[in-house]
Amino acid sequence: MPVAEETKGLSRVKELYQDRPQRVKELKGEGRKVIGYLCIYPVVEMMTALDLVPYRLFGDMREPITKADACLPPMVCPFLRSSLDLALKDKYPFLDGMVMAHICDVGERMAHIWRTYVDYPYFYFMDVPHTTHKSALDMFKEEIKGFQKSLESFTGKEISAEKLKQAIRVHNDQRALVRELYDLRKTDPPLITGTEVLQVMVALAGIPVGEGNELLRDVINEIKQREEKSPKQAARLLVWGSVIDDVSLIEIIENAGANVVMDDICVGTRSHWSEVELTPDPLDGIAYRYLVGIKCPRTFREAALDPKGKNYMADLENRFGYLKDYVRGWNVNGVILQSVRYCDTHGYEVPAVRDYLNSLGLPSVYLEHDYSQSSLAPLRTRIEAFLEVLG
Amino acid sequence: MVQEKKRAINRLQTMRPIRAEIDETYKANVEASKAGNPIAWAMLTIWLGDAIFHAMDIGATYPESYGAVCAASGAAQSYLDRSDEEGFPTHMCGYARNCIGYAARMMKDCGGEIPPEAPMGGMPKPAVLLSRGMSCDAGFKWFQALARYMDTPMWTLEMPIPGVKEGLSEEVRERNVAFMTKELRDFVSFMESVFGRKMDWDKLSQTVQDLEAIGRVWYETSELRKAIPCPMHSRDFWTCMSGPSTPTGDLKKKLKLYQDLYEEVKDRVENKVSAVVQEKYRVGFTELPPWHSLKLFDTLAERGWNFVVETWGYHPAVPIDLTGVNDPLERLARISYSGLTTSCFQGAAQAGEYMGFLGYPNLKYAEEYKLDGFFLHPLLSCRAASAHLWYVQDRLMQKLKVPSLMVEGDIVDVRMFDLADALKKAEAFEEIMDHYKEVRKKEGMEW
Repeated sequence: MPVAEETKGLSRVKELYQDRPQRVKELKGEGRKVIGYLCIYPVVEMMTALDLVPYRLFGDMREPITKADACLPPMVCPFLRSSLDLALKDKYPFLDGMVMAHICDVGERMAHIWRTYVDYPYFYFMDVPHTTHKSALDMFKEEIKGFQKSLESFTGKEISAEKLKQAIRVHNDQRALVRELYDLRKTDPPLITGTEVLQVMVALAGIPVGEGNELLRDVINEIKQREEKSPKQAARLLVWGSVIDDVSLIEIIENAGANVVMDDICVGTRSHWSEVELTPDPLDGIAYRYLVGIKCPRTFREAALDPKGKNYMADLENRFGYLKDYVRGWNVNGVILQSVRYCDTHGYEVPAVRDYLNSLGLPSVYLEHDYSQSSLAPLRTRIEAFLEVLG
Repeated sequence: MVQEKKRAINRLQTMRPIRAEIDETYKANVEASKAGNPIAWAMLTIWLGDAIFHAMDIGATYPESYGAVCAASGAAQSYLDRSDEEGFPTHMCGYARNCIGYAARMMKDCGGEIPPEAPMGGMPKPAVLLSRGMSCDAGFKWFQALARYMDTPMWTLEMPIPGVKEGLSEEVRERNVAFMTKELRDFVSFMESVFGRKMDWDKLSQTVQDLEAIGRVWYETSELRKAIPCPMHSRDFWTCMSGPSTPTGDLKKKLKLYQDLYEEVKDRVENKVSAVVQEKYRVGFTELPPWHSLKLFDTLAERGWNFVVETWGYHPAVPIDLTGVNDPLERLARISYSGLTTSCFQGAAQAGEYMGFLGYPNLKYAEEYKLDGFFLHPLLSCRAASAHLWYVQDRLMQKLKVPSLMVEGDIVDVRMFDLADALKKAEAFEEIMDHYKEVRKKEGMEW
């Protein structure tokens, strides 16, 4: 009997958040193949179309890194180190395969280390261009085609265009439902806390998309009928930056007296905001969504040259304009920029994104941490000071 | 009369005019800029952008190399501090922080003019920025960040890097070469539009031919270093490497200088002349050296350490057959993709090494250059250059019983490197190299 019938809505979300592998282990027991992936660039639609279960891997900031020390040094992204550490500790015995992509340079290196030290029946490394040039888009489409062929060879099945379109539709449904969920944060006070939303997003990343959609519908209905609302706070914050897969930081912010009403992180809007357009050749829509639609600092994008040359503000608008929509739509009055230490793609971005937020008249604070529980506690004082500034 | 102490590293005489020629480039760019000619700031792109700049008569200067100049001359610290003040995280690439600090100083304090304290004549304000989509995220994020200080048009060149297994197929190779060629063509159009001048395709073909000739002789010189004793120390390699990797100026003159270098190294091989007084340990160096503390190598040379090979990526591309490839852009793409990036993939796949050109070549070098050990230098501010070194250390030991000494440091920031500690560790490491020489012998290995 599926566990989904026993608990529903936010209770089910909490179960899945606290024990992520629970559901995929059941599915594995039923004969389904589970494919792990890291970050948001591996194309989940392909896996869904072949009836595989995509399972997004995270780290664990509560687990000390011990095994990964031997092959990935302390001066690189602690999130990636933690993810690899869990694999080396055999925390994913249910995986039938792994897909990794050139998400960032350390991510690329780590993919090869992972492949060397952990043996899976299936492994694929997907190259992802760094620009959104037309030729990069064409190349990326071919790369996705290569990924498709490799999955087909692994499963012994072919993906028909119709199957792929169906997978695209069901993933787009999930993206629409996530946006609907986020709409519930527009009210003042928001109907759902930032902590709860993050739990939902983490839960979704570990179950098949169809189940995720059902779960989202239940959560949305439950929230809409909720009588007890979040406390109204003066600060309505957007949290920007590198991956957050544990609620601790959001809890610290909310317990300090703020509502986290919006995010720009990859377990949030970055992973679910943009949809795949159903193009005649579905691969065109997929390539565009993953390379251009996902707004992550790992991809270079710049404004077109105007006749007078390059314009910094136009460049910022092109790179961060979507943040203005978030700020206005969710009535944000402050931004917390956060990143795990040693994340180059986010580190270089910080002064520019602050310039953009300043141009919108929005105060911001930048916080760095080393992806451990102990590194978050000292941030509380800085968050409280920031909230005082906001009034 | 005080007798001059004999230096432990036997430096090559032909290296000196090469260094002078490289240094001259900085002055030439400053003069060109003063005369109103455009100057590019370029990331190292293994000839891709360089050939195009050369053919379009646009002088290129390389902020990565200039970072090394600032570090070696002691000028870097104030630029690093300035980058910190500008709000960039302190753990970012030392070269990038040096350049960002330099750009902030030039644009905010000096009205776009070269800061007076800048070493080697400085880098003039660029008319175009060329970044790259390979090697490191800083390769494009750093120049993107410069937009805060200068409204300079920027292009990012793509260079695909597939996984070892995925990259073996001909289909993937041809697709990626076509992609790079198209990218280069688009870059040419971009340059034509920014500068309002047309590409001289004949000149580009000649430039590519010259670069190939320099690359071949530089490759052959590197091959000579397999000799025992090794005739050319890493210090000479690093001094000369930016000639072929940042090809500016008179390429015919450069070719002659590198031919002279080859002849001197060959002569040393024939006469069994070592690069150190007495070669006791043959050591590979992985990643860039601590430019601010090169004394390290002199001290180790006194102990008989000969550094005989360095990181694959700084070496010339393996020559490939380009018969029938007439398009100069396609030639560049093939050299960069097939010669440098993926030429080791076949061997890597056979050996079950998936780290590609960052990992497998170290194993290959250990065997081919008969190495006693590796000096691995993780750069605390450079993830791209360091993330794989722990893995490399493990693979060298597991597969070949070649030990590695890991000494953390930085290419620019002297505060991150402890010379005294490095030397102490190196001394102790000699016993380890001696021990594993015996182990290899017992296991029937060749060296």
